[in-house]
Amino acid sequence: MIVSINWLKQFTSISMPIDQLATLIGARLVEIEEVIDLDAKYKDALVVKVVSASKIEGSDHLNLVMIDDGGVTADITRDDNNLIQVVCGAPNIQSNQTVVWLPPTSVVPKTYGTAEPFVLDSRQLRGYISNGMIASANELDLSDDHEGILVLSDDIKAGTKLTAVLSLDDQLLDIENKSLTHRPDCFGIIGFAREVAAIQGQNFTTPEWLDSKTPLSERMVADEVKLEVAIDNPEMSERYLAVVMSEGNGGRQSPIFIQSYLSRVGVRPINAIVDVTNYLMMLTGQPLHAFDYDKVLELSGGKAEIHVRAGQDGEELLLLDGRTIKLTVDDIVIAAGDKAIALAGAMGGQQTAIDATTKRIIIESATFNLYNLRSTQMRHGIFSEAITRFTKGQPAQLALPVLKMAVQLMHDWSGAALISQIAEAYPNPSQEIKIDFTVDRINQTLGSKYDEKTITDTLTNVEFEVESLGDGALRATVPYWRADIHIVEDIVEEIGRLNGFDNVEPTLAERDFTAVRPSTFDGFRGKVRDALVRAGANEVLTYSFIHGDILRKSGQDLANSYRIINSISPDLQYYRQTLTPSLLELVHPNTKQGYADFALFEINKTHQKQTGLTDESVPVETDMLALVVSGKIKLPGAAYYRAKRLLDFVCSSLGVEVEYLPMTETKEQAISAPFEYRRSAMVVNKQSGALIGVVGEYTKAVSKAFKLPDYIAGFEVYSRELFAAPKLGGYKPLSRYPASERDICFQVDANTAYKSVIDATNEALSTITLETQVTPVDIYRADGSTTKNITIRVKLTAHDHTLIGDEVNQAVNKIADAVKTATGAKVI
Amino acid sequence: MEIVNDVRDNLLAQIAASDTPRDVLKSANLKKLYSQITTLPAAERGAYGKTINELKLELEAAINLREQVLDDATVEPLDVTAPWDKNASVADLLPTEFGSQHPLTTELDNIIDIFTRMGFEAIESRQVDDDQHMFATLNFHENHPARDGYDTFRTEEGFIPPAHTSTMQNRILKAGKAKLEAGGQIAAISYGRVYRNEDVDATHEHTFYQCEGVFVSKGANLGQMLGTLRSFFETYYGQKLKIKTQPGYFPFVEPGLEFAIEKPAALGGKPGEWLEMLGCGMIHPNVLKAAGIDPEVYRGFAWGGGVERLVMLKYGIEDLRHFESGKLAFLRKFL
Repeated sequence: MIVSINWLKQFTSISMPIDQLATLIGARLVEIEEVIDLDAKYKDALVVKVVSASKIEGSDHLNLVMIDDGGVTADITRDDNNLIQVVCGAPNIQSNQTVVWLPPTSVVPKTYGTAEPFVLDSRQLRGYISNGMIASANELDLSDDHEGILVLSDDIKAGTKLTAVLSLDDQLLDIENKSLTHRPDCFGIIGFAREVAAIQGQNFTTPEWLDSKTPLSERMVADEVKLEVAIDNPEMSERYLAVVMSEGNGGRQSPIFIQSYLSRVGVRPINAIVDVTNYLMMLTGQPLHAFDYDKVLELSGGKAEIHVRAGQDGEELLLLDGRTIKLTVDDIVIAAGDKAIALAGAMGGQQTAIDATTKRIIIESATFNLYNLRSTQMRHGIFSEAITRFTKGQPAQLALPVLKMAVQLMHDWSGAALISQIAEAYPNPSQEIKIDFTVDRINQTLGSKYDEKTITDTLTNVEFEVESLGDGALRATVPYWRADIHIVEDIVEEIGRLNGFDNVEPTLAERDFTAVRPSTFDGFRGKVRDALVRAGANEVLTYSFIHGDILRKSGQDLANSYRIINSISPDLQYYRQTLTPSLLELVHPNTKQGYADFALFEINKTHQKQTGLTDESVPVETDMLALVVSGKIKLPGAAYYRAKRLLDFVCSSLGVEVEYLPMTETKEQAISAPFEYRRSAMVVNKQSGALIGVVGEYTKAVSKAFKLPDYIAGFEVYSRELFAAPKLGGYKPLSRYPASERDICFQVDANTAYKSVIDATNEALSTITLETQVTPVDIYRADGSTTKNITIRVKLTAHDHTLIGDEVNQAVNKIADAVKTATGAKVI
Repeated sequence: MEIVNDVRDNLLAQIAASDTPRDVLKSANLKKLYSQITTLPAAERGAYGKTINELKLELEAAINLREQVLDDATVEPLDVTAPWDKNASVADLLPTEFGSQHPLTTELDNIIDIFTRMGFEAIESRQVDDDQHMFATLNFHENHPARDGYDTFRTEEGFIPPAHTSTMQNRILKAGKAKLEAGGQIAAISYGRVYRNEDVDATHEHTFYQCEGVFVSKGANLGQMLGTLRSFFETYYGQKLKIKTQPGYFPFVEPGLEFAIEKPAALGGKPGEWLEMLGCGMIHPNVLKAAGIDPEVYRGFAWGGGVERLVMLKYGIEDLRHFESGKLAFLRKFL
């Protein structure tokens, strides 16, 4: 939103440099994105008199023009009479006109600040030197009018700067209006000026005409035609006002200074009638709308009767922009009789549009329910200056004074006359809001020390009425335009804001000395992260949402994912079910970048429909940890064992023990879907048997789909299950006696699981009262052999004596027997 | 067409039996079918071409299926219970100097650590939530214009990937109510991922991290909020800092502010350069009420800001998209 400083100055004084003001507005009202210097754009434009204009022979439209610039331009060729020669093609050029001249080296304002600014010079045209140009309103970027040059009134002296005539020596504030959504009043210059006054500590007085009690001037009361209005759904519109105006001079332009103000804040001047509605909207924030009275009359059966009501299902409306929309019961409709003629607050309909045949117009000034309008705006995609203001919630009290001023200005600018009474529907007039509070309450919430006078003055500056109730108690009456003020906290904000929040002394919060214990799960995750970083892995963070193809490629069921319905990107269609697919996606690009050996891991949350809802009825979130390890060069042994080694390392860093079991079930669960079950293990809790996760290699289909290298494996675990895994046995005192170690080599069938050897060994050792430790030494299988050799090392320690050979032999024999029984092994 | 059917049956049978099913596409019979197109009257060519194309697609599908079966049969099962592969030894970890923690989690650790020491409990934010927590309990009227600013995603079921960590505020307030009423205070931060439905570029992401704070007590005030936030940033940057504010509008606070610090020397800041850090304000009475806390007795303040910005400033990271890119070239800068 653009705010003109010169326009502001019509309503309040500004007592400091604009940069300083912009900083102050930033600190006390709203962020100023930019201060635009308009003066630079127009600084060279001069008002000049056309002394003579004569047709150039051989040209059908060019005139040789001599102008008087009052002698103010330096470095320019002049004739004996001190006049400057310009060639001009405008059809309306005549001698004795007062016009705007852009001298050589100046930039045509229309092109100022664009990618290709047009710099004027002195050049030959049809054999005549033309110095600069005489400008149209369009070239001056004041309006769309390019029919001819802009002609100003004759009382302006030649050589006057255009900036002085149209107060273009202006600066514009570019406002970040997103943070003003709660301040409808600030969407009008007057409301903004009120704030500017107050933040400078000045008192502000709203122009008298905006006071809703001011009567319509006598000459404007009329009763020539009838108009009736009714609000059928009072929750949709608080107040609806309309009048009928006679045809003015439709083609007439509004005064040039109004056009100049409108164009600098981004509104194109059209004609006097339209400009009145735009001007008043920019001034007050209240949008107005015009209908063709005679068309309304015809549609409603000869009786002008306007209704504000809800749209009906199935009802259609042809809008001004040529679209036919289907209305819903949430749309607010303006109807002539029972026929919808406009989408209230949003856009008019073609059936009652103003056009060249229009004789009489209806001017509407109303307020509509902002929530309905917002849904209308979204549903039908309508964005305009008017709906932007309506959706901030303009107050009902504003509608009448603005309508009265519109009648006045239309009369003044276009000659239109009021021909009806003001028709009004206002079923539940707004009540004044009064808020009681105390000086202490304000200071306690802000941590400030403002006295009663400061508080009272701050509020009266922005036209609250403040009444002292004694003992620091105050009663504030809220002005009607402050729809955002309802509760004491809103008063707190006014006091804090207008006096500067930065003037409140920062202190520290008071709290008791209870220690805060960091969450143990956070601590666990920190340990996992540290362990994996030490193991040479790289932590990644990847998106929570993935493309459906990623789910498909991973063998996961799309129906198990929460689907995003309004994503702007197809890459963000579904919530991911596990982390592994996101990691697999990263392998190929990183390999292509030349990384041969790497492990990526992520600690994050995932979501599956299968896991259901919490007791708050929101989806259960599952904490996951996943890793993928990739090697470009084939290392000895299957990749599976490297992933398992990394997981083992994490477990030992955490001091927990897990068990690896061959994977039996296959694609049932999302977590195991990408894994090849014959080359993957289930990670389980030794005590409870609960599934902690999966470690393994990926299916060939997955490898192909994600373009994975040959040597690749990974794991994914439920973090909370790993967190709950049993801790390794605690500390045991060291023995004073030496330990004995024996290696035992078993020849077993090639398909025998290592685990069955170890389980049998541990079973046998559980009957021995010594401290025992079993570690793997070697696993060997000759090429083509149907057997393999598993060598383990058994370490035995006694705490009360030195072990003798027999004891050790007995233990080894027990183990050998147990393993033989369990697996049919041969000890070799 | 009869011929086409015969060739089809024949080729499908070949595929089902072949160890190199893709070779079937080179079959002479198939080539012959293609070459026949030119011999047909122009009117029949379209339909014939279509039939041949369908046949080709059908064969491709059968080949893919067969290849999968063949592939699958070659999978050699592993002894997954073993510590290492046969004839191998224990697999190496990766070189420890390769390892890196993600800069965002490093910085979150840092932030959580400071706030924990200041007396704030840290709670991870949810990644999927509902309208109730995301908006309704935070004083956002349905259709409230302020909702626009959040560009929220929605799931089919109407769940919302939260657009701010304030989605935890009602939970934090409810959980702390008992402690508050026993004479203590509520002091907590929530941190985690948030989502906005917007196009991604060097300075915009649809997925990013926020950290939010809540403090409620009998005596909480705006001056304390400013002091607490300044204290955090002074600890974070290890120096004294100037602060400034500007009014901001967030429905869940009243008054609401935007909070900026003077750019610290560590970041090459000069006096007069400001960094906007977060939004903050006094918790709106309706938000306290929604959690069953009496706003006549207790007051609170809350704030929330992005984490990426801190990290980008700290390391001079130029592009927001790096964070979720998973590029090793980026990750290994943080060894």
